[in-house]
Amino acid sequence: MITIYSAAKVITMNPSNPVASHVAVRNGEILGAGSLAELQGWGDYQLDETFADKVIVPGFVEAHAHVMAGGMMLHPYMGYFERVRGDGTIAPGIKSYAALIDALRAEDLKMTDPEAPLVAVGFDPIYFADQPRLSRHHLDQVSSTRPIFVHHASGHLSTVNSAMLASNGVTKALNVEGLGRDANGELDGELREPPAMSLCRTGFSIIQRSNNTEAAMLEFGALARNAGITTCTDLGGVSLLVPKSLELWRKVTEQESYPLRVVQYNLGAIPGAVSDSDAVAEELRSLRNTETEKLRFPGVKFILDGSIQGFSALLNAPGYYRGEDHGQLLAVPDQLLSMLKPFHDRGFNIHMHCNGNRTQDLAIETIDSLLRQSPWFNHRHTITHAQLTTQAQLRKMARLGLCANFFTNHLWYWGDQHYEITVGPERANQLEPCASAIREGVSFSIHSDAGVTPLGSLHTMWCAVNRVTPSGRVLGDHEKIAVEDALKAVTVDAAFQLHLDHEIGSIEAGKKADFAILEEDPLAVDPMQLRDIKVWGTVLAGQKFQASTHP
Amino acid sequence: MIPFTVIGGYLGAGKTTLLNQLLRSAQGRRIALLINDFGEINIDALLIDSQVGNRINLANGCICCTLSDGFHGAIESLLTEEPRPDHIIVEASGVADVQNLAQYGHSPDLQLDGVIVLADSETVRHKIRDKYVGQTIRRQLAAADVIIANKADLLPEADSFALNQWLQQEFPQAVVHSATQGDVALPLLLAIHANDKALDSAAGHAHFGRWSYSRPRRVCPDSLGRFMAALDDSVLRLKGVAEQSSGCLLVQVVGRRREIRAQPKVLAAGLNLVAIGLEHQLNADVLDRLAHQILEFTD
Repeated sequence: MITIYSAAKVITMNPSNPVASHVAVRNGEILGAGSLAELQGWGDYQLDETFADKVIVPGFVEAHAHVMAGGMMLHPYMGYFERVRGDGTIAPGIKSYAALIDALRAEDLKMTDPEAPLVAVGFDPIYFADQPRLSRHHLDQVSSTRPIFVHHASGHLSTVNSAMLASNGVTKALNVEGLGRDANGELDGELREPPAMSLCRTGFSIIQRSNNTEAAMLEFGALARNAGITTCTDLGGVSLLVPKSLELWRKVTEQESYPLRVVQYNLGAIPGAVSDSDAVAEELRSLRNTETEKLRFPGVKFILDGSIQGFSALLNAPGYYRGEDHGQLLAVPDQLLSMLKPFHDRGFNIHMHCNGNRTQDLAIETIDSLLRQSPWFNHRHTITHAQLTTQAQLRKMARLGLCANFFTNHLWYWGDQHYEITVGPERANQLEPCASAIREGVSFSIHSDAGVTPLGSLHTMWCAVNRVTPSGRVLGDHEKIAVEDALKAVTVDAAFQLHLDHEIGSIEAGKKADFAILEEDPLAVDPMQLRDIKVWGTVLAGQKFQASTHP
Repeated sequence: MIPFTVIGGYLGAGKTTLLNQLLRSAQGRRIALLINDFGEINIDALLIDSQVGNRINLANGCICCTLSDGFHGAIESLLTEEPRPDHIIVEASGVADVQNLAQYGHSPDLQLDGVIVLADSETVRHKIRDKYVGQTIRRQLAAADVIIANKADLLPEADSFALNQWLQQEFPQAVVHSATQGDVALPLLLAIHANDKALDSAAGHAHFGRWSYSRPRRVCPDSLGRFMAALDDSVLRLKGVAEQSSGCLLVQVVGRRREIRAQPKVLAAGLNLVAIGLEHQLNADVLDRLAHQILEFTD
C-alpha cells in the first residue's frame, strides 16, 4: 500500500531535489518526494493530509546522546531549567532553595514506605552561586527521618540529608576526601566524586542502576519522539559489558510501538582502562550480525578525557582561565593506537570523546598513525564534543577524513561560565567552531549529550545558529552558521558520521520514511524562534508517532 | 574492616608482574584483586581454578574481579561475601587518579592500607615531562605511600641510586624502594596480617625484622601520636590497637603516612603494636627506648 503525505512544505535535505509538496511511502520506505502529480505514477495510493499544514523534514538524527536521558527522568527532577518528561508532563525548573524544599516535600508525601530513600536528580549549584552551598540542613527541612539523596547535574556531586548520612553510618570521623564539612568540621551533607558518594550507598546505588532498565529505554524513546528525533545514538552503551542491557534493548526496540531507531556505540574500554581490544572487537562483530531495523551497532566509543566545566579536560596552552587544572586523559596514549586498530581493521566507525584540545591532538595524531598502518578512506571516525577545536586541528581533520560532533548546547548551558571562568573570552567565542568546520571542509554534526542537556535537535540547532547565552551574550559571531547548515548537521551529516546516510538523514527515493513533523518552517522563522517551533511528532518507517507534548 | 590497597603506575612500570607475584605469594591471605579487564593483567594460568563471568577464582583462595559493574558495585558485592576477603587490592589503570581511588579506603568497612605506585626506572624521568601524561604520572607519584622504582636492573647501579634520590626529593611523602621484575617483598606492600608466617620467606633477598610491644594498659592518645611521629624510615609498617576508656584506637604506619582512627568497639585489651622493617635497619632496642620515653598511660 502506498501512502502519499501532503505537506505545507517538504524540506528534503537532498540538494538535487531540495523542496517538495508531497512524499510517497511504501512499506516504510520513500518512493519519492515531489508534487502529487509526480508521485501518482507509482500506483494506487492513499492521500494522508494529516500534515497538510505542517512542514516535513528528515527525522532528526542525534549522534551523541545516552539512555541516561531516559533514566534520569524517572527520578524527581530538581534542575534549574524546566524539563519535559516523555509523557508530556513538565518538571518545572527549580529556581530557589525554597522551591527545592517544597518539591522534595511533595515527593516525600507521595512515597508510601517511610524508610525508602528519596533520590532526586539534576540539581546544579552553579545557578545558586550567590547563596551558601546546598547542605544537609536544607534537606533536613524536608524530612528528618527519610534518607534523601540529591544528585547534581554534573554527575560528580550529591547532597544528602542527615538521615541519609546516619542510615549509612557516615560520621565525621571518616576522613574520605570529598566528604563536605563546614567550618567546624561537621559534615555538611555534600559528597564529591564517587568514593564519597558511594558512602551513602542506599542512595547512590539507585542512581547507578536506573539506566539499565526497560523504563529508562521507553522514556528515552518518548523523549526523542517529542523532539522529532527518529534515530538516536546511545553513545557509550554497555551491551557488551552488561548482557542484561542488551536483552532489554532487544525487547524494547522489537516493539512496534517503540518510536526510535537506536544506534548503540558500545564503550571499547572502561574509561581509563585497557581492554583486550581484539576480543572486544570480535564480540562487537558478532553483535553487529544481530542488528535489526531499530537496533544498530555501527561503531565503538572511547572516552579520552573529562569535561571543561569540571576542569578535567586536557587543554593545550594557555590552559584554564580560572580554576585549578585537573586535566586528565582517560586513555593511555601509548596504547591508544593498539586499542583502536582492531576496531578500525574490522570496519568499525570510532567516536572519540575529546573535550580538551590537547586530548584532541592525541586523537588526531593517533588516527594519523593508524591510517598510515591501515589505510581506510571511508572511516568517518569522529571527534565528539570537540569543543575547543582549533583551526589547525580542523585542517588536519579535514585531510585525515575525521568528522566532528560539536556540543553546541554548551553555548547556552555553560557559555557564560566558559567566558567568565573556564577558558576566557577568546576561546569561549570560538567554542564549537561550526563555521570554521564548514570553511575547512570538516563534516560535522551537533549534539545534546542527553541527559547532560535535554534531547532537542531544534534547540541544538538554535544554539549553533544564534550562539546566545542566558546572560544575552553572543559567543563568537564568526562561528554562527545558517539554519540550513544547522539542519544538515542534525540530519544527513549526523547520519554520515554513523555510516547511515544511505538509509536515513534525507528524504529521497529508497531511504527510510523517517520524518520530523514541524508546525513551522525552520528556514522561514526568525532564527531566534527556532527552538520554539512546535513538534507534532515523527513518522518512523512510515508509521506516525504523535508527540505527547503536542496539544 | 578490610585493608584496602591501591596499586598504580604508568604503562610499562611492571604492575602486571607485581600483581601476579602478589597473588602467587599471598601467604594464606584471601586477596580480592579488582582490575579493569582480565586482558590487562594476564593472570598466570597455573594459578587459576575457575572463571565465572567477571570473576576468576584462584586455587589459593584469592579472587580476581573485573570492574564491569563499576567500582562501587564491585566493592559492594565483595562486602557481602562470606567469608569476606582478607585484603582488597585495586589495580589502578595506567592513567588513573590513584588519590581518588584511595578514598574508597576510608569508607566504613575498609581501611586504606597503602597506595603503592610503580615507576619504570628507565623512563620515569622522561615520561614525567610528557605532554599527555606528565601531569598524571606526577599526580600518581605524589599520592603514593610507597614508590617502587622497578626494572632497576636495567640501569647502572649509580644511576639507579641517583633515580631513587631524585624520586625521594620530588615525592618526600613516600618511601622509595628499588626493585627488579616487580620482586618486592610482601611486607613492603601489604599490611601486617595475622596469617603471616616467617616474614623473610617472602623474598629471597630481603630479610625483615619485627618489633612488637604490648602493655596491658590504656595509652594516652597524644603520646601515641608523638611516638608515631618520632618513628623514622627504618619502620616500614606499623600496626596496632590501643584500648581507650570507650572503644579503641587503630593505628597504622605505611611508609611515611601515620593514621590513628577511633573505633567504637574494643578489639583488644591494652596496647599492642607490631612494626616491621628491613632486618639491618630496624633496631628493636631503639624502638623499645623510644616507646619507653614517649608513651604515657592513663591507668
